[in-house]
Amino acid sequence: MKHYKKLTIPYIVWCAIFIIIPILLIVLYAFTSGGNSVKTLNFTLSNLAKINEHTYVMVFLKSLELGVITTFICFAAGYPLAYIISRAPEGAQDMLIMAVTIPTWINMLLRTYAWMNLLSDNGIINSLLGLLGIDPVHMMYTDFSVMIGMICNFMPFMIIPIHTSLRKMDRSLIEAAMDLGANPLQTFRRVIFKLSIPGVINGVVMVFLMAISSFVIPKLLGGGQYVLIGNLIESQFISIGDWNFGSAISLILAIIILLAMRLMKKIDLKEAEER
Amino acid sequence: MEKIIELKNLTKNYGDQQVLRGINLDIYQNEFLTLLGPSGCGKTTTLRIIAGFEEPSGGQVLFDGVDVSKVPAYKREVNTVFQKYSLFPHMNVFENVAFGLRIKKVDESFITTRVNRMLQMVGLADFGPRDVNLLSGGQQQRVAIARALVNEPKVLLLDEPLGALDAKLRRDMQVELKKMQQEVGITFIFVTHDQEEALTMSDTVVVINEGTIQQIGRPIDIYNEPENRFVAGFIGESNIIDGIMKKDLLVHFDGVDFECVDKGFPENEPVEVVLRPEDIDIVKPEDGKLTGQVTSVTFKGVHYNVMVKTKYRDYMINTTDYWEVGTPVGLTLTPDDIHVMWKTPY
Amino acid sequence: MNKGNGFWAKLYVVLCFAFFYLPIGVTIFFSFNSSKSLSHFTGFSMRWYEALLKNNDIVQAVYVSVTIAVIATIVSTILGTITAIGLSSTGRVLKDAILTMNDIPILNPDIVTAISWMLLFSSLGFSKGYWTMLLAHIGFCTPFVITSVYPKVRSLDPNLANAAMDLGATPFQAMIKVILPAIKTGIYAGVLLSFTMSFDDFVISYFVTGNGVKNISIIVYNMTKRINPIINALSTIVILVIVVILIVVFATPRIRAKKAAAERKMEKELEEEGALPPSGGVKKHRRLGAGFVIALLGVVLVAGSYSAAKKSASAAGKKQQLRVYNAGEYIDMDLLGRFEEEYGCTVVYETFDSNEMLYTKLLAGDQYDILIPSDYMIERLIKEDYLQPIDWSLISNKDSLNPDVMDKEYDPGNVYSVPYFYGSVGILYDKTLVDKADLSEGWNILMDQKYKGNLYMYDSERDSFMVALKALGYSMNTTDEDQIRQAYDWLIRQRKTMKPIYAGDDVIDNMVSGNKAMAVVYSGDGALIMSENENMDFFEPEQGTNIWYDAMVITKDCQNTELAHDFIDFMLQQDVGEQNTEYIGYTSPVTGVYKKMSQTMFKGIDAYQPRSGYAKDEVFRYQTQDVKKLYAQLWTKVKAQ
Repeated sequence: MKHYKKLTIPYIVWCAIFIIIPILLIVLYAFTSGGNSVKTLNFTLSNLAKINEHTYVMVFLKSLELGVITTFICFAAGYPLAYIISRAPEGAQDMLIMAVTIPTWINMLLRTYAWMNLLSDNGIINSLLGLLGIDPVHMMYTDFSVMIGMICNFMPFMIIPIHTSLRKMDRSLIEAAMDLGANPLQTFRRVIFKLSIPGVINGVVMVFLMAISSFVIPKLLGGGQYVLIGNLIESQFISIGDWNFGSAISLILAIIILLAMRLMKKIDLKEAEER
Repeated sequence: MEKIIELKNLTKNYGDQQVLRGINLDIYQNEFLTLLGPSGCGKTTTLRIIAGFEEPSGGQVLFDGVDVSKVPAYKREVNTVFQKYSLFPHMNVFENVAFGLRIKKVDESFITTRVNRMLQMVGLADFGPRDVNLLSGGQQQRVAIARALVNEPKVLLLDEPLGALDAKLRRDMQVELKKMQQEVGITFIFVTHDQEEALTMSDTVVVINEGTIQQIGRPIDIYNEPENRFVAGFIGESNIIDGIMKKDLLVHFDGVDFECVDKGFPENEPVEVVLRPEDIDIVKPEDGKLTGQVTSVTFKGVHYNVMVKTKYRDYMINTTDYWEVGTPVGLTLTPDDIHVMWKTPY
Repeated sequence: MNKGNGFWAKLYVVLCFAFFYLPIGVTIFFSFNSSKSLSHFTGFSMRWYEALLKNNDIVQAVYVSVTIAVIATIVSTILGTITAIGLSSTGRVLKDAILTMNDIPILNPDIVTAISWMLLFSSLGFSKGYWTMLLAHIGFCTPFVITSVYPKVRSLDPNLANAAMDLGATPFQAMIKVILPAIKTGIYAGVLLSFTMSFDDFVISYFVTGNGVKNISIIVYNMTKRINPIINALSTIVILVIVVILIVVFATPRIRAKKAAAERKMEKELEEEGALPPSGGVKKHRRLGAGFVIALLGVVLVAGSYSAAKKSASAAGKKQQLRVYNAGEYIDMDLLGRFEEEYGCTVVYETFDSNEMLYTKLLAGDQYDILIPSDYMIERLIKEDYLQPIDWSLISNKDSLNPDVMDKEYDPGNVYSVPYFYGSVGILYDKTLVDKADLSEGWNILMDQKYKGNLYMYDSERDSFMVALKALGYSMNTTDEDQIRQAYDWLIRQRKTMKPIYAGDDVIDNMVSGNKAMAVVYSGDGALIMSENENMDFFEPEQGTNIWYDAMVITKDCQNTELAHDFIDFMLQQDVGEQNTEYIGYTSPVTGVYKKMSQTMFKGIDAYQPRSGYAKDEVFRYQTQDVKKLYAQLWTKVKAQ
């Protein structure tokens, strides 16, 4: 199909303008000072050095912590669901996976706003508790509310890849394991889970990536005092106007994501070797 | 017969790799020509250059005396049957066959009759509305042939079309293809690595190896008078022995002089001697020109494959007689059975 | 392997789905509520849908979301598909390079991609708005199209295109007639993904848009600060749209397959009678597909010509345009509609979270005609030459302005600004929870351990520092770095010991429901809350507070100064002022409005009248770049603590 070689040219040009140059701009801003219009180029490492300050380090650590916990909960709660769905009859599987997918196609902001109504001090959950005679529970503007919002929004991205890898697994492998004397638990641990690891890794990477960079969910459900990396970047660009520092943070965030993905790939390869 | 295609000093490089090293070939009207060679020899590349899918790095392709090297595939009057058929998966059988005619914007009623006639010819008369993905390999094969022939090309190119079929179907298709070629009366250029297939169907066989033509000839000539060790080895089984041409009609090998029918070599020229296994006769030791002992016997259905160890080498012999392992035997050859070739570098 | 699941498994599935669908269900349910409450269903009504349709801003946003999604989907599908096809015949090195580049927007966090484009558009000097949003959407949709189409292309028989060309098709015909139909499932997946992602996008749109262009997500984001059931109505419509699309996409192939099977059966019968060539079914399908594409193009064309017509109308001067940049939830939107009607113009209305955000936007080159910032920001804008003087002869209602609010330090003689609202900052407290005696602590009541975890601070850099500086007995306009750092320490200590929540406008709804004992609020918000919750009271500490003025100013690059003056004059009208005050609750600088409101809505609510005559009360002043930077840095740290 040599005739179609030239068809990639428009996209190569597009990539250069919309992918390569913008990334270079982030790098440029991260390593210079001199305000938001690049008229004077003063190369400096001070933007990156600033991130080393205790407060910002804590923001990074908090984001990482929240990302890890959210990812873990999504995995722990999502794997069983993916597994149960994969054992349902074919037709039902399609329906169930569809049902998992639909919410992800509905605006994240709208769903997060709905959680605000559910969780607030005089919200729906508390008024239901009130009917049962239970005192209102304070949920809004806490780690809990932020995490609920993230899990609700991101868990489908964990379930879908895991389900995909469970579904395409050869059933005869499970029968073979049973035949060779493995009990159901052993079969699960040594065969089913091992074979679903690529899906798990896919899901983990996706959820972690979204959890660590989100700024809408912490802002709406965590309140003004809830600052994660995403919020830090947003405030640098939108309200404070220090694009240099904002770019430096973004650069670090991109590197963290890159490293996380490398790590996951390595685990995947190692698992593949063991298999 | 008229020349329809000429390949002149065709070369093709992929980077540093030279795939074709100067192919010269004339192809005639109504000819069933086979390009035969091991995989990677350049036979498919040659075919793709003729079809227009690849451009030659050097040399010319002439159709009716006109250079078409720069003419794109869709303007050439050749059609191709692909190795894996390449049927359009989103169209039914009828639409696949009608594709070329629709591109030419032929009248609809004409398309219907032509396509149906073609489907009848390949034995798929009622298959028009079927989904091509649900057909068997043999049926897909027929659709691919019909799809190509419906355009009435001057030349049909077939790229190892029988490769994916099982042995029985393969033999049936060989016969059928030959019949079709005679029926439509056009040139077929057939690519295969299967020597039996080549010998069965072709008018002309072109043996190619490492980008070079080794021999062009009728199947019988290729078999009986291979021009070099490669052709001899590739076509059928044979015993290939180093010898010396003492003079015309006399060749010496394994310590014995043999009368032969070959001449025109310089005196005492080192040559290679080809002995087909079925041409060697096993006789009693005292009657043989060479002597040895039977080391193995394998039943092959019509004949036995007997290995005889002589002082110089092991001979492979096909015979209908059964010989006990360990029996001392003699071997004889008539002059007709001996084929002398120029020594080739490899 | 036995298929099927037990009771517990089923229960688990039900619980999980309940969790996923709870927010969606709640949204739909409460969109039909007859009252404003989001937790008590008082009766069925369509009032929020009616309000939605009347809200010009939302209708405009829906239009932006839909057209951008449609155009971005079409463009990225075409670009992505041809690229995927091209990739199949590209050399290994180049192919890997393209695929790696293609992965970047997919793997990068949205926010990083978003700012990278924001930097790009600013560097190129593009005016941010519809076009930048569209380009960005094409930018993030195309990689997903490629990732869904390319595997299909790769799994194709490599000779398929050759086969078509061999049969006489040109490369273009081969692509249209053979390649595209063979990879159509991948293309459909790409279309679906593009459309939903573009339609739902917030992060990228938020950073690359400007000049009042908003999609649904941005408008929702701007509205989330206050309880607003219109959002639920909007959500319900969005959910409906997406579900309808999904049904069309997933149910149609099945129905079509059934229909095709039936057709085939019929054809066969007809064929046996020799009446029909066997290709009829295929042609019908092709016609269906063509019809769909034409319909889609039609929608885009109509949409495109609509916006073009609108643009050309405004260009021809028939409909003038006024770009207003105001704080969020700071005008009764109905008034904008009224202004548009009366003056035959369109108002491009955009909102900011804080004065600092306004400043950043101006710095980034965004253009507006009218801004409504606060005192200190006005002073800065005057100093940095962003504003043009007001032509007071064009303001017919100038005499209605309260002389007490005129001629303040930020703009002596009101050369550049016309007051919009004014007020003070104080502490709103729940009389049933806060001991009156503790009020004598002044601002330091915010450090009283009795109220730990029971207070809201205001999420604003300068107001928070004001509280701390006043509590320490300093001027809130101090430039002494030591004093500022002491204030920072005060805020950090408060953050650690009191666990306050830094709220924005959501404090209003929360205090109306009495969720916390205390909140730092603007006097106007205090008045509004007190008018709805009689347990609340407002006090301004003796240590002094911030007296603030928000005012309307006209920018240097205003394109229609006459209309801008008309707008300012309009806002000073008695009935307009009343309606706006009723909606916002702040103290109007228009004497007549002020008098009327203190007799009606805010009767007996002292917070409505900002106090005067306290020596320690101050107005925010201009900050030098260094002080501003220090504030920004320290405030970021307080919040990030």
